This record gives sequence, structure tokens and C-alpha cells, in this order.
Amino acid sequence: MSRFSRELTVAGALGLLLLILAVFAPNFYHLQPFISRLTSQMPALVAAVGIALVIISRQIDISIGAQLSMCAIIASVAAGSGLPLGAVILTSMGAGVLMGALNGVLVAWVGLPSIVVTLATMVAWQETLRLWQQGRMLALPEGIQWFGLSQAAGQTAVISVSLTIVIAAAWAMKNLALGRFIYAVGSDAEAARLAGIDPRRTTFGVFVLMGVLAGLAAVLNLVQSPQVQPNCGDGLELKAIAAAVVGGVAINGGRGTLWGVLLGLLLLANVNPALTHFHLPPYWEKAIQGLVILLAVLADGLGRRKRPR
Amino acid sequence: MVLLLVIVLEVILFNSLGRRFLSGGNISNVFRHSVEIGLLALAMTPVILTGGIDLSVGSMMGLSAVLFGMMVNSFGVDPWLAGLAAIGFGALGGGLNALLITRLNLPPLIVTLGTFSLFRGLAEALTKGAESYSAFPKSFLALGNSDVAGLPAQIWVFLMVAAGIWLLVHRTTFGRSFRAIGYSAEGACYAGIPVARNTSLAYIIAGAVAGLAAVILVARLGEARANAGIGYELLAVTAVVLGGVSIFGGSGTVSGTLLGWVSLAMLNNGLTRISDYRIMDQTVASVARELSGLLTGLLLLAALAIGAWTKNLATRRARGQSHPENPPRSSPP
Amino acid sequence: MRALKGVSFELQPGEVHALLGENGAGKSTLIKVITGAHQADGGSLFVAGGEVVHLTPSKARELGIACIYQQPSLFPDLSVAENIGLRLQKTGAFSRVRWGRQRSRAIDLLQRIGAEISPDAEVRSLSMPEQQLVEIACALGSGARIVIMDEPTASLTQKEQHLLFKIIRDLRQGGVGVIYISHRLEEILALADRVTVLRDGESVGTNPVDELTESQLIKLMVGREVSSIYPPSEGEPGEVVLSLEGLGCSASGVGGVTMDVRAGEIVGVAGLIGAGRSELARILFGITPADTGGIVLNGERISITCPREAIARGIAYVPEDRRRHGVILEMPSAHNMTMASHPRLFPGNWLRFNAESLLAREFIRDLGIKASGPEAPGGSLSGGNQQKVSVARWLATRPKLLILDEPTQGVDVGAKSEIHRIIRRLAREGLAVLMISSDLGEVLGMSDRIAVMRGGRLVEWIGREQADAHSVMAAALGTNGKDAA
Repeated sequence: MSRFSRELTVAGALGLLLLILAVFAPNFYHLQPFISRLTSQMPALVAAVGIALVIISRQIDISIGAQLSMCAIIASVAAGSGLPLGAVILTSMGAGVLMGALNGVLVAWVGLPSIVVTLATMVAWQETLRLWQQGRMLALPEGIQWFGLSQAAGQTAVISVSLTIVIAAAWAMKNLALGRFIYAVGSDAEAARLAGIDPRRTTFGVFVLMGVLAGLAAVLNLVQSPQVQPNCGDGLELKAIAAAVVGGVAINGGRGTLWGVLLGLLLLANVNPALTHFHLPPYWEKAIQGLVILLAVLADGLGRRKRPR
Repeated sequence: MVLLLVIVLEVILFNSLGRRFLSGGNISNVFRHSVEIGLLALAMTPVILTGGIDLSVGSMMGLSAVLFGMMVNSFGVDPWLAGLAAIGFGALGGGLNALLITRLNLPPLIVTLGTFSLFRGLAEALTKGAESYSAFPKSFLALGNSDVAGLPAQIWVFLMVAAGIWLLVHRTTFGRSFRAIGYSAEGACYAGIPVARNTSLAYIIAGAVAGLAAVILVARLGEARANAGIGYELLAVTAVVLGGVSIFGGSGTVSGTLLGWVSLAMLNNGLTRISDYRIMDQTVASVARELSGLLTGLLLLAALAIGAWTKNLATRRARGQSHPENPPRSSPP
Repeated sequence: MRALKGVSFELQPGEVHALLGENGAGKSTLIKVITGAHQADGGSLFVAGGEVVHLTPSKARELGIACIYQQPSLFPDLSVAENIGLRLQKTGAFSRVRWGRQRSRAIDLLQRIGAEISPDAEVRSLSMPEQQLVEIACALGSGARIVIMDEPTASLTQKEQHLLFKIIRDLRQGGVGVIYISHRLEEILALADRVTVLRDGESVGTNPVDELTESQLIKLMVGREVSSIYPPSEGEPGEVVLSLEGLGCSASGVGGVTMDVRAGEIVGVAGLIGAGRSELARILFGITPADTGGIVLNGERISITCPREAIARGIAYVPEDRRRHGVILEMPSAHNMTMASHPRLFPGNWLRFNAESLLAREFIRDLGIKASGPEAPGGSLSGGNQQKVSVARWLATRPKLLILDEPTQGVDVGAKSEIHRIIRRLAREGLAVLMISSDLGEVLGMSDRIAVMRGGRLVEWIGREQADAHSVMAAALGTNGKDAA
């Protein structure tokens, strides 16, 4: 089906990349480093699921990196005050809800363009953190890292939670009315209103959901190391947006699947190991990421041109 | 009007907190330190008038600064010549944005988000993530640190750019077409306006001015690094939006942008200087200094909210006023 | 001023009730009130005997009120079946989507209205009339007791129009009340049981259709007699201004168009929607440049690749969609009027405000534009006056050929005849005019010659003397006229 052509293309590219790595860098597949690399990508995957929903509903949220940092710091402060793990997770997600709700109110009800709103909240959260933490690292108490499990079990937990979220979200986007509402609002907000769907409530809900996922991603990030940096979410927004756009989520809303997002993220995540293997220094990462975003929108633009109108 | 009031309030507030705010030295300091943001705000104005946005200008500054530093330090190019080249590189980067946006009809937001990452990434790659360039001749550094005719040298450059942008926006057919494109790109196309060409012009100018801003920044700091201009795009957008330019395109003035920039520059300077004032204890002062970034974000949100609110009011008034489709039909023909 | 003041309107079950009025008479506002999109601030609304307060769109739907708008409001990225499903099923956010049931229901509904549309097609791949049929399927499926149709025939082909009329008659048979809005009087007379006329936001009367004639209806609408609808043709056409030789553009499906247009002549271009008329205009204006054939303008063979070039050559195009393409609503009328003439009026790209305002004042006087001044934004003017601003923009380019695309669509009757007089006067002054119109009366009344297009080709020329509704419609349909009623 042509509808899934993007997903197939990305899957093909990913397969090719993995094949190249298998031939030229077989040690890429050594189990332990492989699992570790995969685990380190999971927070971005969870955030990418959120951003995909936001983009499908025809909005954008570039504050998610700052949101993740905020959630991580708030969670680690909560952990430092002796709260149990479950409460820490809830705190993190709660903080995400509040920040997402702020974006949601400003975009959905005040009617401001999401790009500027989230640009402003991004700076606001970043500055708040700078003011609050002055760049200090926070050490986490015992029992937080790897959820208090062994590293292997912790990694399994992180990966399975993340994949569960992708699968659940993909299922819901296809089979729950809510998911179809998101597509509908992104496709045509006015038509949605006429069909009795409230675009404002849907948009608000999507931003709140984004906040929840940012909070969760913060936890998944947090458990991977013994301490937290107040800028741990920097650049996450670009990574997540790139994954969504590469995975075929249309920047104009209404189109795209979470399977594509998953493939897009895995593809992007494996570009860097491949580059390292071919001796390209790591400080090219940002430039490559920008290039990949541009290539993906370029592909969209060219594809749109070909489509008969 | 509101902005003038804000500026007056700022002056009164900061002046009452300490004596030195209104001194000639400090005022010229305020402007010296925010010229780069002012330049970006000026450059962003035509882009936003066309209904677009350019998030890549800050990164373009970083890339231009690095290229400039490289040319002067590693290849011994004359700094003034290298400065022109840096402006040219900026224009090239703007041209890349323009090409993707106009020829392929891609949304400016995502294109410039991509180049935002690309330009900064190239700057980091060129400096291997850490290097910086700092061997510049004194004659060049004077551009950033000396006074000419009682004003900081770079202010004269700024005034020339401001005059140029003002003429472009308010006195030429280009400015008229920027508005038309911002209100309705399709409508402008049907009126025979070369939409792609004129939109491209806006982005190319934005890139070129970002290059100029990079050169001025390097002259002031005496150092060219990959992180030059980080976050400046937000400050520039803030100044433009504060100045009443509609983020949806079409309406706005260059003088509005300038006022927005002045109020923003004073806010930042005033808050930073509070730490110098004796009347506050040290923690409050440091909080105030740190607060300036946060306040910028909040100020932008407030300006946007007010903008959206007045726009709502205006449309409501237009609808209610003289139901346009329904002219009084009393007079017989 | 208010959009509606004191409207009384009553709809019986099993009735087709036409709503008629000039543009801005309040029809759209009334519809918005009935569908809950706007709140009435006075009076009351009864549905099936019960008073309804605080009507919202979803409440209106529950009450069985369905509306088919001019512009289909569907989800372009979703399938036909899902579009119908979303419209019909009011579901909680957390309920399951039943894809199979949704699809079979869509198939059923599409069959009932006789539309050959795949339920799996993405709506963005459908044509405008097909989308409208999907809308009708939605209304049908909602089991509506009240169906509102807002100019449903505006974009339908003849065949689809017949289909629609059949559907409407079926609905009436089934006891549904239909509110039918149209500018086409002959449709109303053929289809409706009663007609209510709105004027200046008030209802001026409800009458059975049998008791009315067309001219009585027009009189009710404008509140005065419209003496002669079309100004007479006069004078002899001059030199050939434009000749097309087998012109075509594969992308827009137009091919092999050969025609001459002379100075001082109005050539009407008739045809059904989708016959390629506006597409032809866009080829001539360089929006979709030609890839075959040639254009000869004033004896010179030229090619036109962009609107700017067309303008420089003396071709002007007043587009069909006034609000999107004709006028930039937010900009002052003066800016709108000079917009296409920047190179001529503003040499060196420097604006000249005095010249601009002078020119605008001249046109305001000359074309009788009712505006508070050159600074009045386009959007503050009525539809007819916007159209005049759009015409002024093109006259300011000093064209040799003026292409008008649906020049009086959505314009009220008074402004319509004024625009007709202006067009006639321009032709008399030596302009060659190519007038595309779906309004048969306008084509017949205004044209010196009529070119009929069908399927992207020019199929027939009809002279003024031989032209009548029957011959034009027959040529447009490609039949001997059996279908054309």
C-alpha cells in the first residue's frame, strides 16, 4: 500500500544500515554494548511518540527537551527527599502534566501559535533550571538507578516500558476514537468542530499527553546513571522531531504512524555509531542531525510535488 | 504606544533603583551589548511579515563567526574583507533556507529548525567542538569597543541597517509585497507578485544580517566561537513580536521592532545591573540577574497573548461594525 | 449593525423550503444559528414543537439537523468511510473504532445516493463534487429530520445535479424537511414547495412557489424593480487581440484550444464545472503555463510562463475566488488596486503614495465603489464592491485582454447589473474581454460570441443570434439537448 511507503522506505534504509554495520563492524552487535545503546535511546523514543502526536494534531512542541530536564530535576529532588520510587515517577509525570497543560492552554484556548509558545516555555524552563541549579549535578540516592534492579534487569525494564508505550500508542491511534480525533483535528480543525470533536480539547489533551510522556522519558533517562544534569534534555526536541519527520509524520498534520516514528528513531540512532565506525568525529552529530531533518522534509516536498493535485 | 510606556516605566524603575542607569555611559552600554540582537530583530522583521519565521539566524551567527575567525586567523585574510565574506556566507545560508521554503514549498518552521541544527553543527564541527579564534588586529576590535562621534561604533552600523530595512519595508514595492504574501501568498501570486523571489529576498537578507551581527559580536568579544549567538533567535523573535509585528504575517512596522528591541535591551541591562546596586542584598541581586532570561520568555508570551487578544477584538469589531456584506439599501439608484 | 433582526421561518416535514436573498441578507447567519454554530441573541427556536435554548453543533446534530455546506468540510487525510464514521458516530474518546462496521455503513450510504466512490479512498484524492456527495451521504446517514443545503449545486456537474435533485425528492418523500439555499431561481422554482425571502436580515415573506414568477422573486429580494438585467451590446468588434492556436497544458487537462478574441468584443466561455474553463484562464495568465500550442497577442507570438509576464504583455485575470485570490482582505483598497501594477506605477521599486491614492480615488469614482476611502480594507467592503476593487486592480495594469472568471458569483443582484454595465463599457472602450461564467443568463446576456468548453476542449462556437439556453447547455453536455431541461 502506498500509504505505508514511507515506513517501508525507512525500514529499508534501517535494514541496509544494519547490514552495512554487520559486514564492516560486526562488534556493533556484541550483546552488552548493543543493549546499552538501545537503552540509551529509549527516552528519546518515548518523547518521539509524544511529539508525533503533537505533530499529527498539527502543532509543534519544541519545549520538550527543557520539559524533560525539569522533570528529571524535580524527580531527583523528590528522590533526594526520600520519596519511594513510585512516588518519584508520579512526581516526574505530574510535573510534565503541568508544563504540558501550560502549553496546551496557551495554544488551544488563547490561540497562540505553538511554535512561539513552546519556544518561550523552552526558554522559561531552561532559565528556571539555570537559576535553580546553577549547573550543579544532582546525585541520586540508592535504589533509583535501574529501578533498584540489576543493570541487566533495569535495561530490560526500560526497553520493555518504552516499547510497550509505542505499541499501546500505535494501537490507540488506530483503534481508539481518541486517536482518530487527533488525526481528524490535525487534518482539518474546522471539519472536526463540525463533526462534534472539540479541537481545543483535543489539542490541549495532546499537549498534556506530551507532558506525561516527557515526564516518563525523564524517569527512563534518570534511572540510567547515578546522577542527573540539569541540561540532560538539551537537544531532545530536535532528535524527537527528526525521528517523527523522518518516520513520515507530515509536518502539516493529519498523517503518519507511530511505527514510522519507531523506525525513524532507530535509523537516526544508528547513524552515529556507523559514523564513529567510519572515523567521523562525534562533534559532527548536530550537523548530521540537521542534515537528516532537511533531507526528510525535502523528501516530503518532492513527494508532494509529484502527487497529482 | 504601550511599548513607549513600558520603556518609560523601565527607565523610571531602574533609575530609581540606582543612579547610574540613565548615565550616558550605561545607556551606550545598553546599546553596545544588544546591537547584535537588534540586528537580528531587524532582519527577522521582513521574514515575519511574509508569514514565515527564521529560527536559524542565531546558528548562522555561530557559523559565520567561526568562518570569519578561521579566515582571519588561519588564512591571514584581512578582517574587513573577511567580514564581507562572513556577510556573504550568511546570505548563502539564508539562500539555502529560501530555496527549500520557496522552491519546494516546505514550512519555514521546520526548514529553519533543520538549518538551526545544521549551521550550529557545522560551526561545532569546524572548531572540533572546542577551538576558538582570538587573534584579531586592534583596528578591527575597535568596531566592537570604541566610540565614534560619541556613540559606540557598531551603533552607526546598526543605524545604517535599520534605515535600510525601514526603507525596504515601508518605502518599496518589496515591503508591500512582503505584507501581501503574509496576508495571503496565493492572493499575492494571483496579483502577479513574484512570491518566490520576494520571499527568498527576505530570508537572504536575514542570513546576511546574521553574518554582519556575527562580525560585530566577534569585534566586541575579541573571540570567535561556535557558540556565538546561541538563543539569539528567540530574543530577536521576542523583540519583533513585542514590537507589534503579527506572528501570522502581514502587519507590523520597523519602528515597532526597534521599540520592542529597546524595551527588551533595557530590561536585560536593568536586571543585570541590579546586582551592582547596594540597596539589595546579594542573593536578590543574583536572582534578578538570572531572572532576565526567564522574564524574556514570559514577556514574549505576554506580548503574544495581548496580540492574539487585540486581533480577536479587531475581528469581532470588524464583524459587528458594518456587516460588510450588507450595505444599507435605502438610497434608490 | 446586526446580521439578523427578526426572522420568522417555519419548516414542515416533507417540505423543500427555499431560502432566498441577496448576499448578506442573512442567509448564512440564519443557517449558523440553526446549526448551533452561532448563538441567537433574541427570539426562540422550536424543533418538533419543543423550544431549544443554547444550541450547540452537537446538540443540533442530536436534534436531527444536518447541514451541507458549499465548501465540503471533510478530513482530507482520512478515508471516505472514516469521514462518514466520524461525522455520524458520536463516540466517547476512549471507545473502540469499529472499522468493519464503519466501512459497511459507508458503502451502504454511498449506494443509497448512487455515488460511485470507494469507501477506502482518501478524501484528498476526490474531486469537489465527489466530496459534496460524501457530505450528502453523511447527512443521509445521520437520519436527519432537517437537512440544510447551502448552494449545493455550485460545484456539481449536470449529472450530479440530477442525482442531487433525485436525492432531495427522496428525502422529501421520507418526511424530511429540506432547507434549500440557492442563487439559481430556476432551481428553486423547479424544486421547492415554499420560498422565504430574506432582506437585510429580516424575512419579508413566505410564499408557495406556485404563486411566484422569477421577476416577482427578484423584486422581493431587492425590494425594487430591476429594470433591464443586461446592458445591450453595441458597436463592431475591432482587430484581433488574442489568438490561440491549439493551446494546451497536459497538467491541467486542457488541450487543442483555438480561438480569436477581438478588441471591443466580449467572448463568453460556457461549460460545466470541470470543463477546463478556469484552467484555460490560468494557462493564459501563466499560473500553469502551456506546454502545447501557441499564443499570439496583438500579432506577436509569445509564451507566458508566469503571471508577471502575462501582466507585462497586457493580459489581466480577475480570478474566480474573490476572497482568496481577487482581493487581499486585510489590505487597503488602494494597495489592492495597485498591486498588479507595481512595475508600471512604481519605477525603481520605490512606492509613490500620491500617485497611488490618486489612482485609487479615480477608480472608486469611476466604478462606483462604495468604500469609505482608498484606505478602507478590502474585507470591509461588500462582495460586489470587492469584485469592483479586483476589476480595478486589473484595469490599472492597462490590459489589452481582460479575462473575467465568474465575475458576478456571490454578488448581489444590484451590484451584479452594475458590474455588467462596467464590463460592457470596457468592451466599448476597446478592451477584448474573455468572460467565463456558469450563470447561463449572464453568458447569454453579455456575450457577443459564446465559446463552449467540454472536457478540456473548446467544442463549439455559438453566435449571439443563435444562442439560447438550450443550445449552450446542449453543447456543454455534449448531447442533442435531451438532458438539458
